[in-house]
Amino acid sequence: MSTTVAKNGVHIATSMREAAAMLADLGEAGEAIAGGTWIMRAPDRDVPAHRQYVVLKHVPELFGVSVADSVDIGAMTTHTELGGIEAGPALSGIRQAARESAFPQVRNVATVGGNIRAIGFAEADLVPAMLAARARLELTSPTGTSEEDIGDYLATRHSRPAGELIGRVRVPAPKGRASAFERLTVRATGEYPIVNVAVSVDIDDSVVRDARIAVGSVEPVAKLCVSASQALIGHRLGDSAAVDAAGVEAAGELTSREGLDAPGWYRLAVLPALIRRAIARIDLSSA
Amino acid sequence: MSYSFSVNGQEVDIESPGLRPLLSVLRDDLGLLGAKLGCGEGRCGACTVLVDDAPVAACLYPVANADGSDVRTVEGLARHDSELTAVQDALLTHGGVQCGACIPGVVMTLTALLDQDARPEDSEVRSALAGNICRCTGYQKIVDAAMAATETNGDPR
Repeated sequence: MSTTVAKNGVHIATSMREAAAMLADLGEAGEAIAGGTWIMRAPDRDVPAHRQYVVLKHVPELFGVSVADSVDIGAMTTHTELGGIEAGPALSGIRQAARESAFPQVRNVATVGGNIRAIGFAEADLVPAMLAARARLELTSPTGTSEEDIGDYLATRHSRPAGELIGRVRVPAPKGRASAFERLTVRATGEYPIVNVAVSVDIDDSVVRDARIAVGSVEPVAKLCVSASQALIGHRLGDSAAVDAAGVEAAGELTSREGLDAPGWYRLAVLPALIRRAIARIDLSSA
Repeated sequence: MSYSFSVNGQEVDIESPGLRPLLSVLRDDLGLLGAKLGCGEGRCGACTVLVDDAPVAACLYPVANADGSDVRTVEGLARHDSELTAVQDALLTHGGVQCGACIPGVVMTLTALLDQDARPEDSEVRSALAGNICRCTGYQKIVDAAMAATETNGDPR
């Protein structure tokens, strides 16, 4: 197909196939726009809004949530909708991240797909929650559909092929898994987090058999802290020594960015307390 | 490009760049000056309007995304010849309106809340207002007004 290119042009897609074709046709000049809360602030970040945008709001395949052995989430699902998903404790961290992020007016619009796709958004709350939860992304392009681990996607986010769209986010929700999220902000509500933390654990016979600790807002992209996660395995959830060790390991695994909200050293200094709070928040009663 | 949506029940057809903020269209094209440009980055709530019944920051809402939607602004609540809504009336009665800059956004946030839940708890009112900054009232009078509005919004508490 041929998509007419004009400065700051906006094109409305009505299907995944059409959206992918438009984006492929536009090449590097094209970008999808979901809720728009990140892209609309591009001028505030001194990023010129000179791209061609493909509006996704009228693509029906991007909506809806289904809950089964895994939770299947359309990329256009808003934070408000995500915060209301009725699923087990494996999804608790994602629900908490969605409910506590930003403000109601933004949560009603900002989408999970946009949060994962937003380049330069170190503070995105859903990203560490999705990383900890082992989310996988269904990606659609003009050549077909594929699935990819969110960690792999984030590592190559700045160089994804033109025409590729995040269609769905799939979060496994096996029995025995529980998760939680914590964030530190200057004020109690709203604001970007200085640090955000998500923890997901698999519990068997009261012992942590597997764990994933993901940290956002410290490095430019949220990161899975492997050594910190390992520190929890084999111990009872909440074991004080294991939790302290996880905090130390996490701080050692990260290279903190400087910012106007907080200096780099401060993010690392508060990280162990955030991890401790997140672990304390995990509710095993229905895991 | 042209975008069609309803504003306070009236169909409009807007010729505009798609990334233009809905707030700009409402104020500059349609003369609806209730929603204000405050921070311009979705933090203050002065620009709050309802899109398909949900409060949104109109300063960050691309008009292209409004296509096919139902937009409500403070001007649509009480016409010149009609009574104030319960929310508007309670804000006046309880001294919740001082300089007034934030009030159109506050009114729309509370209107959406009471549309969804006729009897919200105090904590739910405060959570709903987390995205509406007021630098005059200290919020208590606004919360008092919201709780009072619930008395006349469906079943009495």
